[in-house]
Amino acid sequence: MLDLILTPDFFFAILRITAPILFATLGAVVGEKAGVSNIGLEGIMMMSALFGSLTSYWTGSWFVGLLVALIVGVLEALLMGFFAFNLKTDIILTGIAVNMIGSGGTLFLVKVITNITEGKPLASTTSLITAVNQIPSWNIPLIKDIPVVGDVLSGHSILTYIAFLLVFLTWVLLYKTPLGLNIRSVGENPNAAASVGVSVLKVKYIAIGFSGLMAGFGGAFMSMYYAMGWSLDMVAGRGFIALAAQAMGGGEPLGSMLSALVFGFAQALSIKVSSKGIDSNLVTPIPYLVTILGLVVFALVLRSKVKRQHSAAALKEAEKK
Amino acid sequence: MAEEYVVQMKGITKVYPNGIAANQGVDLNIRRGEIHALMGENGAGKSTLMKMLFGLEQPTEGEIWVNGEKVNLSSPTVAISKGIGMVHQHFMLVPSLTVAENMVLGMVPKKSGLFIDKKKAVELTEEYSKRFNLHVDPTAKVMDIPVGMKQKVEILKALVRGAKILILDEPTAVLTTQETTELFRELVNLKKDGYTIIFISHKLNEIMEITDRMTILRGGRSMGVHNTSDVTPEVISRLMVGRDVVLKVEKDRAKPTDEVLRVRDLEYVNEWGKKMLDKVSFSVRKGEILGIAGVEGNGQKELVDMLFHLNTPNSGTVTVNGENIIGLSQRDIRKKGVSLVPEDRMLYGIAGAASIQENIISDRCGDKRLNKGLLFDMKAIHEETDRLIQDYTVLCKSRDQRVDNLSGGNIQKVVVAREFSNDPCLIIADQPTRGIDVGATEFIRKKLVELSRSGIAVLLVSADLNEVMELSDSLIVMYGGKIAAYFEETDDLTDSVMGEYMLGLNHQTPDEIRRVCHE
Amino acid sequence: MNKKRSIIFSLVRGTAAILIALAVAALLIFVSSDGAGAGEKLAQTADAMRQLLIGPAFKSSGGISVKNLSDVLAAMIPIVFTGLATCVMFSANQFNLGAEGGIMLGAFVASMVAIYAPLPPVVLPIAAILAGALAVGAMMLIPAVLKAKLGVSEMVNSLMLNYVVLYFIKYLLNSHLADKSKGQIMSYPFQAHAAIPQLIDNGSKLSWGFVVALIFVVLVYLFMYRTRWGYSIRMIGINQDFAMYSGMKVAAVVVLSQVLGGLLAGMGGGIEVLGRYTTFNWNTLPGYGWTGITVAILAGNNPAFVPLAAFFMAYLNKGCNLMSTYCGVPSQLIDILQAVIFVFFAAEQFLSGYRQKLVVKSTQEELKRAAQEAQEKGEVK
Repeated sequence: MLDLILTPDFFFAILRITAPILFATLGAVVGEKAGVSNIGLEGIMMMSALFGSLTSYWTGSWFVGLLVALIVGVLEALLMGFFAFNLKTDIILTGIAVNMIGSGGTLFLVKVITNITEGKPLASTTSLITAVNQIPSWNIPLIKDIPVVGDVLSGHSILTYIAFLLVFLTWVLLYKTPLGLNIRSVGENPNAAASVGVSVLKVKYIAIGFSGLMAGFGGAFMSMYYAMGWSLDMVAGRGFIALAAQAMGGGEPLGSMLSALVFGFAQALSIKVSSKGIDSNLVTPIPYLVTILGLVVFALVLRSKVKRQHSAAALKEAEKK
Repeated sequence: MAEEYVVQMKGITKVYPNGIAANQGVDLNIRRGEIHALMGENGAGKSTLMKMLFGLEQPTEGEIWVNGEKVNLSSPTVAISKGIGMVHQHFMLVPSLTVAENMVLGMVPKKSGLFIDKKKAVELTEEYSKRFNLHVDPTAKVMDIPVGMKQKVEILKALVRGAKILILDEPTAVLTTQETTELFRELVNLKKDGYTIIFISHKLNEIMEITDRMTILRGGRSMGVHNTSDVTPEVISRLMVGRDVVLKVEKDRAKPTDEVLRVRDLEYVNEWGKKMLDKVSFSVRKGEILGIAGVEGNGQKELVDMLFHLNTPNSGTVTVNGENIIGLSQRDIRKKGVSLVPEDRMLYGIAGAASIQENIISDRCGDKRLNKGLLFDMKAIHEETDRLIQDYTVLCKSRDQRVDNLSGGNIQKVVVAREFSNDPCLIIADQPTRGIDVGATEFIRKKLVELSRSGIAVLLVSADLNEVMELSDSLIVMYGGKIAAYFEETDDLTDSVMGEYMLGLNHQTPDEIRRVCHE
Repeated sequence: MNKKRSIIFSLVRGTAAILIALAVAALLIFVSSDGAGAGEKLAQTADAMRQLLIGPAFKSSGGISVKNLSDVLAAMIPIVFTGLATCVMFSANQFNLGAEGGIMLGAFVASMVAIYAPLPPVVLPIAAILAGALAVGAMMLIPAVLKAKLGVSEMVNSLMLNYVVLYFIKYLLNSHLADKSKGQIMSYPFQAHAAIPQLIDNGSKLSWGFVVALIFVVLVYLFMYRTRWGYSIRMIGINQDFAMYSGMKVAAVVVLSQVLGGLLAGMGGGIEVLGRYTTFNWNTLPGYGWTGITVAILAGNNPAFVPLAAFFMAYLNKGCNLMSTYCGVPSQLIDILQAVIFVFFAAEQFLSGYRQKLVVKSTQEELKRAAQEAQEKGEVK
């Protein structure tokens, strides 16, 4: 079994599988920092996946497809924001509504569109749209020739590299820019931000818009690289796993990236295992179980940290000071 | 003539979405360069009026004029641009950010157009800190600095944004006497430099000390403006409520008997390693009211939390009638006969969206007498609720009314109605009359005396010096997590003596303190 | 604001939400219809809207369609149960979204008992349904206890469990329990006496489960408003700190609310599958859980309004099915409709300007009355 895992192929797969989860995770991180819990990331990913791959099919350009996926993601997130911030619908419920629209709405659109373009009767269940143009990969010069490391790091889709680069950029955004200062203020003490003239509403919109942008990347990744086109249930809960990764990562970009990698690992492992002939229905739920376990482990670790402060040892420390 | 007024609020009315009319036709005129007090009971509308002056709320009707110009203060940004700054009672600071970052929030100096220029932010903070003689540490995180410094940061924040009119909302609520003196000195200096200060408070002695004129609000309306030199505290109180407020509590001498609450060697270190309780030991007996005095932040809150398992001590014992209560659930603590009137009534004391009835029976919903088998005995519950509403003079439309629709004083009456009526042997009252009207305050204090004389042990924690000195039979002063003094009698206690112990200038000997253990 | 005004306000708001949703639906139908010009598209849209709004109750000839209406009532059964389950859980402020997987698990377990348990008539269906309920109640212990003891998000956990349940059932069905003689993947048929008898014999599958559902509406209402456990659930939902301080066992109630939700969802699954089918053949999550959330929101978390909300959603769903059959509009429109309705319904600031006016009016009236009373008493202010 170990020889299955310790191959460059496997690590390559981990990075590839983690990327879409990582996008959504970063969206969740920035959202939460501003106090915005976007549980609709799943639904936004579905919409972006559909629009992205469709556009790329119609225009013949992956770039335009990607762009549309991003725009759809941002717009849907901003609409969520309107309901949550202006009309004051509970943001969790708004997220649930977005997920409903994401799953039902995409299928509705697919049925309508396939009817229109191909003149066939309505598809009864799922339908596959073949995208002619997928997101290109990049074989990094020099690195690709390094044995082992090169096989792991080179040859990914450009979005994969963007995903991991965004971890750093998100950190810079949050901690080195005035916008990041505003985001953290709004998340921690919106009254404080408002009292100095920071528009809490605007900052929340920016944060949720960012999360929509990330979900857009994630959706585009799924339908234009990971798979060859859109299908029902293709996002398969990645938007929810991203929420868990954000929680496990302490809400910070770096920690959340590590958590996302854990899930990527779990999924890559489950695929490997299923290739040995085990029923896919036993193997597919592994990442979801890992998510539950991960949350439990994280909570236990947090709990023991708090306990440590309260023990007599902490008392002794204080006396020493 | 109009130019003498730097701020004029004319005919201000404010009605909230939940139906509460916070201000009705209020006029407020502030002269340039004066320190003007805004007084009134809670619910009188002082905070709301000032929120409108700072653009945090919009008046439903009325006009606001600043520097002779009619303005629409639609947001704090607009108010700041008109030279108005506000120092809030609950600090508007972001805990994980540094002092300098909090200072420049919303006006951040930039490096290369995209990034925060941290150095400039620190320099700006230091410059203003020196200019106004308000010492702060620019690179410290706000969550790590003491309360007095937090307030200085708040004042500097207003000044750095060009405020010439400062609104201070209950600024001394969280300060020591020493810090208050410092604050008043700073305010007088600012006044000399031409700044105008509006000072919200209901601490009568402070108002008398530092202000030039005062406007009194009652029930959302203005009762007129007075020169401070023309009035006495009694006159002010009468204007605030419309009758002579009893400042002294009538009570007969306490005759305490058996020990009920026994606290020994309680120790607690908080999450930042600060020792908040240092070998605290005392006893409370049947029939007495023991007060805990002290400036907030000296361990009183932590102590109360320990007694009701909202927190756990590192070591020490707490027993009620000989039985341990550390580590017990709130349900079990209540079963031992302990009641708590919590400091934060909105957080712990009530479920805002629930009805008065649902709130009043919350500690006894499982009682046999309120249940018939599996279901509630609604008739019994209605009767109990109505009886309590009547006995505690809760002003409401019906028992099904949402409890957060009531005024602060009536909400607190619901809380005490519940906490006092379930046959306790020990009542812990934490800031029981904070932020409520004089009528309700008087009622609750009378009730506490009545209950204590009937044999219940009462532990009163109050930062209100008058309250803790008048109401208590005996009291202890807390400073730095320790008991600094124990006074068996409070009759001859003076403010200055209390001040010494509250500020740590004086500390009784261990023997003197141990007397509170009654062993 | 007095009670009468507040009821009027709720009705106006609810109606506005529904009208907006219908407008969105009409727009989507118009855009997606395949008519040649705007005129033809409009006609098709009108046709579709007629199917949606009137179809479930009336035959195309104009008379009342008993068959359609009984279809609607039958469709109510599972969502009344998931609606009740969600009401209970949301009342405790637990955003447990596991009713979706729960109803499927309940259906599956009930099916297994219905196929294999050697029990006599009457006992068999009851045992099957109870088994389904208990299984899901037990499953809900996972997110519930993890939330109560460790503070782990019950939302993420329950969502993950939905997927786990789905694949677990698919695996069992695929490998061991499928009737290989059939083309589709399904279990062996239930024993004949496991079926719940029908109320009306017209193919609507309106079984006695409908009556059971209504009975449970009453039971859950009594539980939530007339017992100390329901009261604890509601208080914890409003202010958990207050509940703890008042002596309520918060952790236990957090668990109770989710387990109860599980029991109700599981029961719904069992009743649905035994009342409607003769074999178990669900191989995706049925969607009743999400509709249950819409029902709970429309009912304001109050069990008493669940039947009305469930009827409304079932009616719309039937309308969408009719639209799909007769006008070619994909039935997924119901998901879009649901989302729009509940997102407006739950929007507190929706029509807030109107509400503010009502409040100001009420307050002014009260002040006038109070001033009059004071004058009558002779006190001059």
